[in-house]
Amino acid sequence: MLSTRLLTKRYGSLTAVEDLDLEVEPGELFGFLGPNGAGKTTTIKMLVGLLRPTSGTARVAGIDIMAEPERAKARIGYVPDAATLYDKLSAREFLEFSGDLYHVERRLRDRRIDALLKLFDLDERGNDFLSGYSRGMRQKVSLAAALLHDPQVLFLDEPTVGLDPQSARQMKDILQDFCKEGKTVFFSTHILEIAERMCTRLAIINRGRLVAMGSLQELRHMVGQDGQSLEQIFLELTGSREEDVSAVLRGLEE
Amino acid sequence: MASRSNPIGRVVAGLDVGLLLWRAQLKMFLNQTLRSRKPGRIAGTVVSAVVILVAWSWEAIITWAGVQASQRAPVQIDTVHLLSLAFLVYTGVLVFSSLVFSLNALLLNPDLDLLLAAPVPVESVLAGRMVVQVLRLLLLSLVFTLPALLVLAIANHNLLIPLVFAALYLLYPVFVVVILSLLTLLLVRFIPVGRGREIVTLFGVILALGINLLNFLFNPALRDSGFSRRPGVPPSLPDVPAASATWLPSGWAGRSAAAILRGDWPAAAEWALVLLAVSAAIFVAGTILSGRLYLAGWIQAVPPRRRRPPALRARRLNGALPLLSPVLASIVVKDWRMRTRDLAQLVRFVTPVVFIFIIFGLRFGGLRGAVQSLGEGPAAAMVGLVPAWILLFSLSISLGLTAVSLEGKSIWVFGVSPNTTLRFLQGKCLSAAVPTAFLVALVALAAQILIRPGWLWGATAILLAVAQAVTVTSLMVGIGAVFARFDWTDARRMLSPVGVVIGMGLFVMMTGGSALLLAISLALASATGFSIFTTWLAAMTISVGGAVVVAVLGVLIGNERLRGLELG
Repeated sequence: MLSTRLLTKRYGSLTAVEDLDLEVEPGELFGFLGPNGAGKTTTIKMLVGLLRPTSGTARVAGIDIMAEPERAKARIGYVPDAATLYDKLSAREFLEFSGDLYHVERRLRDRRIDALLKLFDLDERGNDFLSGYSRGMRQKVSLAAALLHDPQVLFLDEPTVGLDPQSARQMKDILQDFCKEGKTVFFSTHILEIAERMCTRLAIINRGRLVAMGSLQELRHMVGQDGQSLEQIFLELTGSREEDVSAVLRGLEE
Repeated sequence: MASRSNPIGRVVAGLDVGLLLWRAQLKMFLNQTLRSRKPGRIAGTVVSAVVILVAWSWEAIITWAGVQASQRAPVQIDTVHLLSLAFLVYTGVLVFSSLVFSLNALLLNPDLDLLLAAPVPVESVLAGRMVVQVLRLLLLSLVFTLPALLVLAIANHNLLIPLVFAALYLLYPVFVVVILSLLTLLLVRFIPVGRGREIVTLFGVILALGINLLNFLFNPALRDSGFSRRPGVPPSLPDVPAASATWLPSGWAGRSAAAILRGDWPAAAEWALVLLAVSAAIFVAGTILSGRLYLAGWIQAVPPRRRRPPALRARRLNGALPLLSPVLASIVVKDWRMRTRDLAQLVRFVTPVVFIFIIFGLRFGGLRGAVQSLGEGPAAAMVGLVPAWILLFSLSISLGLTAVSLEGKSIWVFGVSPNTTLRFLQGKCLSAAVPTAFLVALVALAAQILIRPGWLWGATAILLAVAQAVTVTSLMVGIGAVFARFDWTDARRMLSPVGVVIGMGLFVMMTGGSALLLAISLALASATGFSIFTTWLAAMTISVGGAVVVAVLGVLIGNERLRGLELG
């Protein structure tokens, strides 16, 4: 469903993503983890066609995103980190606009909008301008827009940021249902608990390079200690230095 | 240093905050220009500096020539009144800029929360804002007048002239800035959350329109007769007798400035000290009051307005438009909603139309008479196109050039959609050209009805205006795509200055070329004996054909530019 080969993105002398090889199967809920600035957002933006890779290839739903961007994008749903939406449109109007951009037939579009607004508990405020929405509500509208054209692959960049626990749980259920239909979810997150509970497979990226990929069990084998939490595995693989942090904090107290 | 708990301590802390903010703004300016490491920006800064130097040189030469002329043929001028009048006029500028600055500072600038969270009294933060505004105005005044002041200092052998004027520039704005800041603090309590930008825009437009209207109605240069004049005041100046009154700050500043120009520095210092004492008192009082006003209630006092439920709303547009594909229709409808619901955008529509009414409506009788004297025929029809061209000039720039940048940070929505950038640009051309062509056609129709050049000439002129509206606006959309900026947070920053200059140049070439072709067609008809209508139609066809080619090229170049961008 999704594959990359030697995917690389450079900004001048800075290499944001280097030689990334990924393989994600249909029906998988794939977690993409990494510390701040590791290259998660850059990778997702390359996979949805917003950024052009410096080198390498990426195929989504069997289509090369660089060679046939329009065909590939028709099969992709994307929820960005802190989505900027049109403030002066209502949620319903934004979804109508989004549906038209993805060529969803009008009656089907309106039916799906009603259903999605209800699903995300936005039906009562669907006619309010988005400028009055909280971050979590915007995130929901963004997810509704991404689901509207029934994509085969859903990319989410930090989807749970700004969501209350209820909404986060609701999003988790929706994504799992989505995968049960044989579709793929690819999402990045900082919240390791969510990744640990939700994902069928995980990849960890650090400083632009893939450091691990597999199921949670496979990652545990990789670090050589069964029973470790994803947080411990993550810290071990990304080289976090807890001792240094403690020393700095002690220094501040002095 | 005085304790921050007493009023004077808070005022001093306010000065500290002001200087801190000023330094931060200076650093940001340098980082965005000379230190940006971007060749384009550095070149732009150097070019701007050269332009300022050229303007300064020009100002110095003019001042020097004026000084020489006045020495050869002395003119009796009441300098106290003249300079007081200048300071009074400057007060108008101060009111306008202070209101916009204060509203911006309180409603829009994201750093206010950061400052209020710092361990600094609220009064000091607000006073710091006032200090920044006063320093900014001082800098602007010096940029405009420093060369003239230096020339006057050299000519009068009095180096105190620039120093005293700089002191006056620093002190004079204080009372306006403080009063306006206090009024703004009262005003913002009634502005709903999220409407700040619109209110700032509304004030800006009302003030701009008001100033233009007053200028048009009362400026002697634009009137048949001026105000009644005081003896000794040059006849071209509008006179406000109270400007030099001893109870007005303009009178103090005017007296001080006039005294230093005639070399009477004790008198200059005396009036400057009066200004200093009053400004300091107002600043201290304003600082204390501003804190009280702030703490008495804040903008969140007014809750955001909820929209009416769908049952009560007439949903006329659900994204569908006849003859258009869903994608194009959705872009047109969405842009229409964005333009009409956001006051800052709506202003781009309405202001040019209002100005057309001000310019032509107020001089309607005289203009109509002049054009009707041309009689029936193509010449009158062509002259009748002028209001439509003026409107087209404004609208094509305000709607066409901004059409692509209007997306702002939401451009990712198109970036991830399964549509080509050319499709996106087609939608943008439609969304900008349709309302422009409609309004231009209305103005052209009204002009032709009033001028009555004959129905055939009038109809062809209207057709030409509509064709030009569509092509010119599409061209502007293309130029807007080339110079697109999606990082703006303020609608005023959507336009690229380079794009505007290129757009204006191309507009002048296209409409000027069109007018030239029509004039040639008339000359050709009289020289060769061809029917005027035949040569007129030929000129129109060439004109429209050429405009279409230029517009298509513009859109294609814009498309190439957009394709090359990473819209994430």
